[in-house]
Amino acid sequence: MRKFSASAWLLLLVFLGSCRASDLFVVSAYHRPDPFGSFVSSDLAGASWNHSIQLTSARGGYVSFQLVVKSDTACKDCGLTIESSQPADVYREWFHFNAPDKHYYPDALIPIQVPFSFQMPDPENAIQGQKVRAFWVDVWIAADTKPGVYHGRARLTDGSVRKTVPFTISVSAAQIPAHDALNIDSNSYGLGWLQEQYPKALAGSGRAKEDEQFQLIQQYYRMFYENRGIYHVLGYGHSGYVDPGFAPELAGAGKEKHIVSWDRFDRLFGPVLDGSAFNGTRRGPQSIPFMYMPINPEWPANYLWWAEPGYQAEFTNIVGEMERHFREKGWTNTQFEVFFNQKKRYKGFEWDGDEVRFPKDDAYFLVYHDLLMNALPKTTPVRFVMRADSSWTFPQQEKLLKNVIGLWCVGGTDLIWYLDRVPGMKQRGDTVWIYGGTPPVQDVSSSIASDPLRAWIFGVDGFVRWLAVSPGPHPFETLVNGGKETLAYSGERFGIEGPIPSIRLKLQRDTMQDLDLLEMESKQGSRDAIQTQVVHLFDDTTVAQWRHSPLPPPPGNPLDWTNADLDDVMKPYLAQFPTPQPDAWQRVHDFAVKQAGRTQ
Amino acid sequence: MKLVTFALVGFQLAFVPVCVRPAVAQTSVSSAANTAAQQQDLQEIARVATAMIDGDVCQHIVTQRALEHMLHPNPRDEWQAGDNYDVHDAPFIETKKNLIRLATLAPYPVDVNLWMPVPTTQDIQVVIRNKYNLSQFWHGGLEQAMPPEMQEVLQSGKTLTLQKTPGMISVLAPVRNSLNEIVGLVEVVASTASPQHDEQ
Repeated sequence: MRKFSASAWLLLLVFLGSCRASDLFVVSAYHRPDPFGSFVSSDLAGASWNHSIQLTSARGGYVSFQLVVKSDTACKDCGLTIESSQPADVYREWFHFNAPDKHYYPDALIPIQVPFSFQMPDPENAIQGQKVRAFWVDVWIAADTKPGVYHGRARLTDGSVRKTVPFTISVSAAQIPAHDALNIDSNSYGLGWLQEQYPKALAGSGRAKEDEQFQLIQQYYRMFYENRGIYHVLGYGHSGYVDPGFAPELAGAGKEKHIVSWDRFDRLFGPVLDGSAFNGTRRGPQSIPFMYMPINPEWPANYLWWAEPGYQAEFTNIVGEMERHFREKGWTNTQFEVFFNQKKRYKGFEWDGDEVRFPKDDAYFLVYHDLLMNALPKTTPVRFVMRADSSWTFPQQEKLLKNVIGLWCVGGTDLIWYLDRVPGMKQRGDTVWIYGGTPPVQDVSSSIASDPLRAWIFGVDGFVRWLAVSPGPHPFETLVNGGKETLAYSGERFGIEGPIPSIRLKLQRDTMQDLDLLEMESKQGSRDAIQTQVVHLFDDTTVAQWRHSPLPPPPGNPLDWTNADLDDVMKPYLAQFPTPQPDAWQRVHDFAVKQAGRTQ
Repeated sequence: MKLVTFALVGFQLAFVPVCVRPAVAQTSVSSAANTAAQQQDLQEIARVATAMIDGDVCQHIVTQRALEHMLHPNPRDEWQAGDNYDVHDAPFIETKKNLIRLATLAPYPVDVNLWMPVPTTQDIQVVIRNKYNLSQFWHGGLEQAMPPEMQEVLQSGKTLTLQKTPGMISVLAPVRNSLNEIVGLVEVVASTASPQHDEQ
């Protein structure tokens, strides 16, 4: 056998070195990679592996992209660094196995500090054959940033191999307004889910862990706020039990019933009501705009006294004390929602507060409105508002409960037939939201923009994702339902005692930033033209298609409708909308920044 | 406040005074941790419940229309039965108030739930639940398969005391109508720990 010469050995070493085929790419936020070297199938259209990227941004917001490391060989000492003249938040992306289609999708974002050392494959994510690690980058463009072009770069080190990719951000003069054009709400229920998601932090639970629970809830408020959303947590269940902290503690009965302690309530909600929970966020401290009250048929008045004088006495005493407390605390920027979530199918009460189907149940709203008005001083600066979540009988409820309900949350598709009512509702001071679910991870990335866009085209004030903190029992192993009930995950597995965001939440935030710009521009008088252009860019549709259903609602009494009847009449409406391209919102973003930069 | 608005409920509460001496000794929560004493409390409440709860009134709670939807599922609409579930307000309120009154006989959280068979089926449904969400049997559904213990109470008229779920005690006792038929049962239930939280 011939011996290799020294130079041959050297060449071999160089060759082997180059076989450490790690490479670093910079990828649009809308094209999610898979762990095996491609893109997830729903985001494949238009996806490309780039060695540079040029982005545009308005001021007062974030601009996002992904860094993707691909390597055919294992790497135990990879490193990532980022140089940016603007502050950058970096996250590593977690690939979830998704049960519905048995594919992997990146979604949870785990905050990291750069320089960041990592391995390929990721021993923690533990995916057989993993060749890709991905990182999400949020660059913060402060409101006082000077318009211009900013350069940055990311560098991968893999042994002796170094790869650098530049990114360029063109910052326009446009300013994203501090206040959002829409309330994009993430909804949740009670505290029970915290125990499942934070087993270490809440081990033992009970009153000893109350502070930890309360701080976790505050962190959810903070995370959604920083990502241009709002957060709701309902503190009572279908039979009226109020979780500790969601209401002041009461004592006595009848005319003697009174509040004995605000301690828990103030510790839980005080920081979000006075805004201090948001200290240190890039958006700055602000009081939350909306909040559920614990008021339900069993609280503060004992159901035992329903329809008797004692019910009024207990209700009036306690709500009156609440008003006084809120006023003394200066909590006058928040709308305190009197919202009845119970459904009779859960057997706690005899009427549906949520999604009323039986017209007789509307009468209860009138009773509670009377009770509420009776409990509040006429000139109070504290903003209590009656809220109704309405679907089956929205048109009837809107007529009957005019001037009773001040916050309407209407089924996202149910409102399509009654959009002509929205201006009148807003004119009398009502807030109008629509509600629905959350696109699962297997949907195209840009689908997260559809509902906020629909709310904006409808001319309503917001969109509610009915459940947004429930990723299922073991989301880092398997997403059982595509993550369609969550936009956040528990960070506990990663040593973070609080929530971590998702890619979908970040994309929703980016959508909101652009809608804020577009709304600002629309107020200049060109709303129709702007909306026409936006839906054309998004999915090549027209505003008329968004705002009109080809078919009317089902005939007859809503009480006789089935969900199938509604599905049938909605099909032609929904069929008008093609699945958006992954970069559908990127086109809207570019338009929004350009448009706003031109006029500011 | 215009109390007249309460008239919309359309009934006068048929108040049934509880003339019996409080059946439950006013013990503290901590002493109630004594399972035997707690069982005795709950059994006493169940005994009074059987005497007080009017089975005829209970039989008028769930509407016929709701039952029809429960008995005839729509293959195109899995939510049909729930969406059409309805009760007559007056008997519901009357019975629920009595159940709440019964629960107050214990000085710690107790729920008294009403269960009734679903006619023409082998199923049973909880018809009224109460504040603390306590039950060893309810799992969130509109109706469910009849647990053998409930079947036994409905057939024999016996009162049963059960500890199937750790940390919870239930006493099942029959509810009779004016024909002396057993038409349902009460589940008098307490937790030996803290109250359970609701499913949303």
